[in-house]
Amino acid sequence: MPDNLAVSVKDLSYAYPGGQSALDRVSFSIEPGESVGVVGPNGAGKTTLFLCLVGVIPVKLKTVGVAGLDPSVPDDRRVLPAKAGIVFQNSDDQIFNSSVFDDVAFGPLNLGLPADEVRLRVSEALETVGLKGFGDRIPFHLSGGEKRRVALAGVLAMRPAILLLDEPSSHLDPRGRRELIRLIQSLSGTKLIASHDLELIRESCSRILLIDQGKLVADGHLRAILADSRLMEAHGLEVPHSLSHHAEHERHHVD
Amino acid sequence: MTLRLDLLPSPDSPLYRFDPRWKLAGIAVAMAAVLALRSPRTLTIAFAACLLLAVFGQVPIRWLLRRLGEVALFLSPFAFLLPFLATGDGHDWLTVAVRVYAKGLSVVTLALVLLSTSTLPTIFKAAHALRFPTTLLHVVMLTYRYVFVLGQELRRMRIALRVRGYRVRANAHTYRTTAHTAGTLLVRGYERAERVSRAMRCRGFDGRFRSLIEFRTRREDLVFLALVVGTATSLCVWDYAS
Repeated sequence: MPDNLAVSVKDLSYAYPGGQSALDRVSFSIEPGESVGVVGPNGAGKTTLFLCLVGVIPVKLKTVGVAGLDPSVPDDRRVLPAKAGIVFQNSDDQIFNSSVFDDVAFGPLNLGLPADEVRLRVSEALETVGLKGFGDRIPFHLSGGEKRRVALAGVLAMRPAILLLDEPSSHLDPRGRRELIRLIQSLSGTKLIASHDLELIRESCSRILLIDQGKLVADGHLRAILADSRLMEAHGLEVPHSLSHHAEHERHHVD
Repeated sequence: MTLRLDLLPSPDSPLYRFDPRWKLAGIAVAMAAVLALRSPRTLTIAFAACLLLAVFGQVPIRWLLRRLGEVALFLSPFAFLLPFLATGDGHDWLTVAVRVYAKGLSVVTLALVLLSTSTLPTIFKAAHALRFPTTLLHVVMLTYRYVFVLGQELRRMRIALRVRGYRVRANAHTYRTTAHTAGTLLVRGYERAERVSRAMRCRGFDGRFRSLIEFRTRREDLVFLALVVGTATSLCVWDYAS
């Protein structure tokens, strides 16, 4: 796996116990600093792909490379959380501590960082997500948007080079969603965002991976894929409203 | 959502400032001693000592009494029915009632003193430092966190049942539905546990909880421990000698 790539995936396949195929010979690579949207219908394999990238699902040797590490190698897998952070769809699955501070500090403490460094990172991460002063709050009393930002802060505090966001806008109201989009846009580093919210993807990414039934069916520039109404409809998706005019134009051009 | 344990008063008192390890150890010894006592006289003195500890910890009395009242209500069937059900030990009704009440209320008072003079993460950390079994601590900590989430799921499921016309009745349909609800809740709990574990591993969790809380033993902590252990031992000796 080339070390200069942020993510490299080569012929990755995975079947759940019982034989149901979730990923079928998926291959792609991502340069450092790229923002990539992963789209596809429900059950396409987006979350499974993310779980393979962060080493939760076992993968074959040399099929996945993340920040120069191979998640199939136990030693690499141990240091992977410092390089690649994932924010899960349901914040309640991710936030388990009884204070916001403790939850954001959980990752840095696991990295074995000194206490002062942990405090600094927690403070910076909370400020980045706009939750300065929330350290003593009880996570369960926060709104859905605030919980999502705490979950994000918990990952940002580990300063990963690669950030994976799984359905980041689900369960958020319009204001929370808008704030989240601004936040995602402000984050540097390599980003992979799996979402059905194609407007969020359009505003946050420049490249799209379209997955359906475990297969990578399209990989290209955002506009080329999201505005292709035939491709989108063939895979259970719709052209985002903001690109529908563009899609209409393209369709007439082709016809 | 309201978490009763999160709404505990945390008065700034000498007890609040004690090293949580020695506080936990002292209170654990006191609880064991209370449970070992037999005579109503020593049990009454032990309960008085527990209340004294609550006063020392500046636990709000009205708050404490309200909770003790609830516990007393819960204990009443045991206290009043047990003498009629138990046979052959020769104790009168009052002795058994005093035993049940004094033990129950003393243990709850001690638990409330501990919970209201330390934060839960601190208690878990102190328990870890005192070498309580790690797995047990993880289970307690995560149960405390997720029992409310599962409670919310149960509420949603009950609403979903009601809006489809379900009413609890004494028939096979109700028993079957209750069993299905419990089963679904178990499966959802298991799935959530899987997801939580996955999220923790993704943040570098290796089975060991780390914390920024640092403990420091001072002379006052040891004096407190000696006082509690001394009182507990004296009561036990008196109880078993008389």
